[in-house]
Amino acid sequence: MNVLESAAPNSRPVPVRWSQNPKADSVSSEVARVSAELRETISRLFGRSLHIRTIDTGSCASCESEIRLLTAPHYDLHRLGLFFTPAPRHADCLLVTGPGALAMDHALQATYEAMPDPKIVVTVGACALGGVFVPDRFTHDGVGRLLPIDVVIPGCPPSPLALLQGLLVGVDRLHASINPDRFRFSGASRP
Amino acid sequence: MALWFWRGVRRGIVTTRYPARADGSAATLPTPPAFDASQLTPELVQQMIDICPSRALELAEGQLVLDLGRCTACQRCLEVAGPAGHPSQQFELAAHDLGQLRLCFPLEGPK
Repeated sequence: MNVLESAAPNSRPVPVRWSQNPKADSVSSEVARVSAELRETISRLFGRSLHIRTIDTGSCASCESEIRLLTAPHYDLHRLGLFFTPAPRHADCLLVTGPGALAMDHALQATYEAMPDPKIVVTVGACALGGVFVPDRFTHDGVGRLLPIDVVIPGCPPSPLALLQGLLVGVDRLHASINPDRFRFSGASRP
Repeated sequence: MALWFWRGVRRGIVTTRYPARADGSAATLPTPPAFDASQLTPELVQQMIDICPSRALELAEGQLVLDLGRCTACQRCLEVAGPAGHPSQQFELAAHDLGQLRLCFPLEGPK
């Protein structure tokens, strides 16, 4: 399969289950310290600003329509320090839409490799998250197997407000809201 | 200057204050479903799984699992579910990985 094996998310370390760890308390405090340092580093590197390159891997263009609305006066993403850039060389963030059409494999890989480090990948929409399409001769089922994903934004299409929230999660402005308890679905729990 | 101009400026639609403040238009967005576990039965759940066009619902270990990443908020399952489901009104769903987007609803409906 002609996909980006080198960037496969499988190469990431497996997260430790804290509940099974006898030193859970000391380890989790260590993780909290490291994550605070990491957050500070990211904030310094990106300057709390983000230049975004979008790439469409076979989307129906409704996600693009919503992304375009972000620059409209009502949402005005420039006030938050977010900008679209026409070249991946200038981008910090890759905004991927579409299920990952096979024809876009090479373009996706080239775009990702052209971006300078550090970079984040944000996937947008249900088909990029594996929802709508099944893998066949023309497409993958989402881009999760092609790139290391940092933020996922569900929705079909996600509204501009949801996109804003996802991008702010990307620049770590809303780090406090990244916690599994923030979903207030009555009666629901996590597997 | 004409009074209508100032009135228009004062009442005009301005840039949203999100994320510092909530945006009023968020209430009108289509959102993924949430289910009332006390009314979920295996038959009802199977009907919802069959009608879901994006494979967002599945039955795992006796629980209904909703994958928010796959959900397109088409609300067909809500038509089947009737009083057992309602739109969640949650649009801030961005997460760091897909595992955070899987929600489990136990089937606690009448036997």
